[in-house]
Amino acid sequence: MGREVSESCLESLLTEIVSSYCNGFYANKPELAARRIEAIGFQVGHQLSERYTIDRQRFTDHLEAIKFICKDFWSELFKKQIDNLKTNHRGTFVLQDNRFRWLAHVSVDPSLDASGSIQDPSAMAENKASQATGMHLYFPCGIIRGALSNLGIPCAVSADISNLPACSFVVRIKA
Amino acid sequence: MIVCVAVVGHQNNPLYIQSFTEADDALKLHHIVHCSLDVVDERVNNPKKSGPTLNETFLGLLYPTENYKVYGYLTNTKVKFIMVTTDLDVRDADVRNFFRRFHAAYVDAVSNPFHVPGKKITSRTFAERVSTIVKSFGLNAAG
Amino acid sequence: MEEYPEELRTPPVALACLVGCPDFHALITGHLHSQQPPINTIALPDFSKISVISKAAKENPATGLGKPVGGILKRDWLSKHRTRVPAVVAALFTSDHVSGNPAQWLQVCTDLENLKATIQGRNIKLLVVVVTQSSSKDDTSEDRMISLRKRAELDSKNLIIFVPDDPLELKQSLNRLGTACAELANTYYRDEGRRVKARLERKNFGSIELNIRYCFKVAVYAEFRRDWLEALKMYEEAYHALREVVGISTRLPPIQCLVEIKRIAEQLHFKMSTLLLHGGKVVEAITWFRRHINYYRRLNGAPEVIFLHWEWLSRQHLVFAQLLETCSATVQNVPTTVTVPADKLTEWELYPPYYYQLSAHYLKEKNSCLEFAISMSEDVGGIYGSVESVVASVYIGQFARLLEHEGTYTMQALTDDEYARYTLAEGKRFQDSFEIIALLKRSFEAYNNLKASRMASYCGVQMAREYFVMAEFSNAKQIFENIASLYRQEGWLTLLWEVLGYLRECSRGISSVKDFIEYSLEMAAMPITSNAVAPYFRDCGPAGPASLSQREKIHKEAFGVVTGESGTALSENNGLKVNGDCPLYLEIDLVSPLRVVLLASVAFHEQIVKPGARTMITISLQSQLPLNVEIDQLEVQFNQSECNFIITSDRKPHLAAISHVHPGRRVETAPTLELLTNKWLRLTYDVKPDQSGKLECIYVIARIGPNFTICCRAESPASMNDLPLWKFEDITETIPTKDPGLAFSGQKAIQVEESEPQVDLKLGPSGPALVGECFILPVTVASKGHAIHSGELKINLVDTKGGGLLSPREVEPFLADNLHVELVGISGQECADHSEANFDNIQKIQPSFGLISVPFLNVGDSWSCKLKIKWNRPKPIMVYVSLGYHPHSSESSSQKVHVHKSLQIEGKTAVTISHNYMLPFRRDSLLLSNFKANRDSDHTPTLPFNETSILIISVKNCSEVPLMLLSMSLEVEGDNSCTIQPQEEEFREPVLHVPEVVFRKVFAVIPKGNCSTLKMGTVSLKWQRDSGVGEDFHSCPTTSQVTKHRLSDVNVELPPLVVSLKCPPHAIVGNPFTYSVTIQNQTELLQEIKYSLDDSPSFVSSGPHNDMTFVLPKSEHVLSYMLVPLGLGSQQLPKVTVTSVRYNAGFQPSTTSSTVFIFPSKPRFQVSDVGETRPESITE
Repeated sequence: MGREVSESCLESLLTEIVSSYCNGFYANKPELAARRIEAIGFQVGHQLSERYTIDRQRFTDHLEAIKFICKDFWSELFKKQIDNLKTNHRGTFVLQDNRFRWLAHVSVDPSLDASGSIQDPSAMAENKASQATGMHLYFPCGIIRGALSNLGIPCAVSADISNLPACSFVVRIKA
Repeated sequence: MIVCVAVVGHQNNPLYIQSFTEADDALKLHHIVHCSLDVVDERVNNPKKSGPTLNETFLGLLYPTENYKVYGYLTNTKVKFIMVTTDLDVRDADVRNFFRRFHAAYVDAVSNPFHVPGKKITSRTFAERVSTIVKSFGLNAAG
Repeated sequence: MEEYPEELRTPPVALACLVGCPDFHALITGHLHSQQPPINTIALPDFSKISVISKAAKENPATGLGKPVGGILKRDWLSKHRTRVPAVVAALFTSDHVSGNPAQWLQVCTDLENLKATIQGRNIKLLVVVVTQSSSKDDTSEDRMISLRKRAELDSKNLIIFVPDDPLELKQSLNRLGTACAELANTYYRDEGRRVKARLERKNFGSIELNIRYCFKVAVYAEFRRDWLEALKMYEEAYHALREVVGISTRLPPIQCLVEIKRIAEQLHFKMSTLLLHGGKVVEAITWFRRHINYYRRLNGAPEVIFLHWEWLSRQHLVFAQLLETCSATVQNVPTTVTVPADKLTEWELYPPYYYQLSAHYLKEKNSCLEFAISMSEDVGGIYGSVESVVASVYIGQFARLLEHEGTYTMQALTDDEYARYTLAEGKRFQDSFEIIALLKRSFEAYNNLKASRMASYCGVQMAREYFVMAEFSNAKQIFENIASLYRQEGWLTLLWEVLGYLRECSRGISSVKDFIEYSLEMAAMPITSNAVAPYFRDCGPAGPASLSQREKIHKEAFGVVTGESGTALSENNGLKVNGDCPLYLEIDLVSPLRVVLLASVAFHEQIVKPGARTMITISLQSQLPLNVEIDQLEVQFNQSECNFIITSDRKPHLAAISHVHPGRRVETAPTLELLTNKWLRLTYDVKPDQSGKLECIYVIARIGPNFTICCRAESPASMNDLPLWKFEDITETIPTKDPGLAFSGQKAIQVEESEPQVDLKLGPSGPALVGECFILPVTVASKGHAIHSGELKINLVDTKGGGLLSPREVEPFLADNLHVELVGISGQECADHSEANFDNIQKIQPSFGLISVPFLNVGDSWSCKLKIKWNRPKPIMVYVSLGYHPHSSESSSQKVHVHKSLQIEGKTAVTISHNYMLPFRRDSLLLSNFKANRDSDHTPTLPFNETSILIISVKNCSEVPLMLLSMSLEVEGDNSCTIQPQEEEFREPVLHVPEVVFRKVFAVIPKGNCSTLKMGTVSLKWQRDSGVGEDFHSCPTTSQVTKHRLSDVNVELPPLVVSLKCPPHAIVGNPFTYSVTIQNQTELLQEIKYSLDDSPSFVSSGPHNDMTFVLPKSEHVLSYMLVPLGLGSQQLPKVTVTSVRYNAGFQPSTTSSTVFIFPSKPRFQVSDVGETRPESITE
């Protein structure tokens, strides 16, 4: 029986991390903020993968490791598996979650977002909103990258939001 | 009796190495642990020979040397656990059990948010826990 | 393995004995030896020598039963059976003797009887060979032969006739002999084996020792028979029986008893291993070896002779390794066939180096125990006297004293004490260090071949330790150095510490100061922070246990040496001197392990800087040495040496080290140059680069004391590697500069810009260039800020679409015609004015590249030249012009400055010429080919023969500038088969031709020749740019161009019919006029013509409307109509259709030619206006 964490706490924490990095520490350097958030995710993924592979045989190939991420790892994190996994068989994998938990409570309302950032009235509201959502995805991207790196698969992970609660993560394995 | 345990990182660098012996052969044990990495490499790179133990984390007896037996364990994250014992008759199940507990202790240690991945494990809690596991290995074997 | 006797090491070979007829012995011996399996022979020349094989006086086993057995195996038993006890005796008699006189026969019989008597007791088999000549083969008495066989009690097959003088028969005889020998030998060994085995089965042995002996014998006999399985089984039985003896035998004193048992066990095991390995059963052999070692490992024996145990263990491993090595050479692919059994044979156990290594280990163990034992026995003293006459006894593994009593020798058993002394004395005689090294070396090499570098390293460490003990420092150092790199790379601190400790001492041993300091500093900077010395870390090399205090001690010692104040360590460091005569210079590069000692990170604060401007640079130094280090002077070196500078400490401003300063070098001071452990020393200064290009910091050189220098390669913070060893430590990392941005992206190199060019390079205005003309592009160089020295202008023409200026289809690239665009020439200003000032002007012209030197220009001067570019095809190009020059007169020192300009120029075709043919007004010829041509798409125009046709040449101005047309002419090619006349005068003055306008000129063509195709010739148009606008640079008189246009060929045909309409040019309403159609038949044939006239609402007509007529050859027929116009303006005449029945071709006049203008009343024209308006009326 694993210990559990309150989901709302975690979501609030994530939101707070994103907002403090984006609006606080690195207010005008979004790339730096993204890098820091991703790095936090990386360490989390790195450590979680250590724990969740504890009773498993070693993976023989990349696909096996990716499947582990899709099934067991995702279940541990989000109580559900990845809904769809695609690959081009040349080192690129697309992991699609039709209802990504950490985006479940995110909505893109331009007016709301604009009112939230009165300090920066020049910013285009819509652009800013999708950017803010994107910021929330650096953390899970980092988690995936950290987990795979720890399993000996160096890779780059990016996220893509098509329509909001759905989210796909693109994993590109470095040769 | 377990005389030495070690955690070795994926660059074959020691993350934790501790000997439990009164004799002055700690250095030699370090050498033995280091040498055992060759067997781990060999077993992972040419897996045919290991037959049924393919991809199992437990690698079994790595090699016997003058007074010791060296056992190995390789995690999915390419971290190696090495154990050196002086016991001649060791039950496989005991060793497996030992490594399982050792692995769990390791996972707890590296899950510490203040631990930097890939660096040596300096946690005292971990050291104490490993020491307990090592001691209980003897007891289990007896009982 | 070499120390085993021959008979043990090799498989047993059956032995036969030859008696009599010595001439043939060599032959027979050779043959038997080459048999498969071979048979060894003892050759006795005559029968008197047979006592050699006779049985020695041996006590009956029955009588000896009560007597205790002296030992397990007799030393000489095996060799006896290999060399002295034959299985078969072959008695050779000549046929002369056999069938000779009675005396001879009697001799034969006697010899045979003697022989039989000799061999009887030992069951040796007998073979009788009668040697006979082939000629006298049949002479041999049959009776004698039978009698001989009966006397010898032989089967007939064991009586062999041997015929030596016929090759074929000899071969057969030898074969017979060989077969018989082999069979008999086999029988002998089987019988012997059975005999002994029977005793075993009957338990007919008095002691367990005999049991072992009998088992051994059965096994050996089985081996003689090559029954390996049986042999193996019996050896195993013997081995197990031997196990039972351990601890219960009291026959000998305990030490010697154990020694004997181990010796026998060794021999038995050796036999088993050999049999198993040669049978390819590697895994079984290894398993057996494991069991063997496990059985006896604990049987250490008495502590005073424990070294014997280690020696024995070492030998077991060595022998097994050698066996494994020899058999794996013969039995291929051993490991792959092996499936690892349940008891888990591990990888290395399949390979010899594993055993070599253990052998070396036990040998080392033996050495240390022996040394201890010897030192203990020193006190007792006098070991020599008592061991002098000790020899090996008759039993394997036993020793006895040989006592001489009045010429006879007797063996006397030894006490354990005596034995121990004997072994000590023996042990003292041998030095095993070299042997240990040899074993380790084999292991080291074999492991390296197996790519087991860590195993090999461990062997290497042990080997080097031995060298070190023997004070062979350079050998030791070499090995240690190789190993150290592996340990460094993988971060095994304890192992590295040990190796470095040895290396340090080795360097001291060979008095290499540099190495000593390097290793000392590396050790001192190792990431060992614990100060608690673990009690079990005692044996860890000469450097002592790894600890912080030890690091500090080493640090102090090293700095004591380099500063020359060796103080306490003076006595040890005799050979290590650093002083003015031998200063010490260390270099630390990016991969050096000494980066932990001094790391220099250098970052410029900017990425790019203007020449002569100041920029900031931060030099950050870090050291992991345990104690603080005071640097006396720092020198920072750049690739531009003028920027180098020196930093001295405020605290010691007037140190001797300052003497290193080059005169004129900049000297800075810093408040302190003390390096603290793991703390960055950050120093920020400014530099002023003068030269453009890259400015890179290369070295940071630290001087400590007058004679010690560390030269450290500068590193960029952005691309700095992790510190070796420390990267695995869990320590907080610090950044080299305070500014984190600089720490992540700072570079040790900076780009210095070129000095700003202060020169104007102007390219003239560009209109479009016209194909064919020599386009002139003026280039002006004007100096504004500084003078231009040795300027050079480079011109490049490049196709804007990329690719060359040549058409790809054209093969000869340097023919001018093939160049679409070419640079024809460059004319400088001075070039035209004074040619003698122009000698040094480099001019290089290639079709697309030009180079011209620019003369010296003072500030404010300007210079210009003109580029002549010629277009052969329309094509847009880029002209790149770049000026390179020195702003100062001294070329070498100053940097070249470059100015670039480019311009796109469109090359266009100036004029396009086209032409078309027309027939004369209201006169049409029936051209039969036109009908055909309409059906095909062949469009060669056809002209009627001997009729006037009109040629219209149209010239269109495609350029964007007005042109002047100077002349146009038509050059007719070939014969004068047609006349072409311009319908107008030649231009009297140039015609202005503005863009997009078409100019036409009309020619009348009358084909005269009788050929069907007519070459029309070429139109030449001479034109030039219109100079009236005033752009004077175009006004070169030579710029008039000729554009040519070739007229296509035409067909000429005699028209059979010519129809011409005739009517007045205009008419007046209501006034009738005549409209006639003339049909001219030009053929020799009667032509039937149909014609019709359509009604027209505008006219009232009279005349034949619709009829048919015949036109006679070469005559004409006129249709006449009278028309009265009704409407006004331009009116269509009633349409006349003429159809030739013969050619089935109709004719209808075109609409334009059948219109007439109807005036309401008679108009009046002023004739004088007509001439002036004429040109306008032609152009549209």
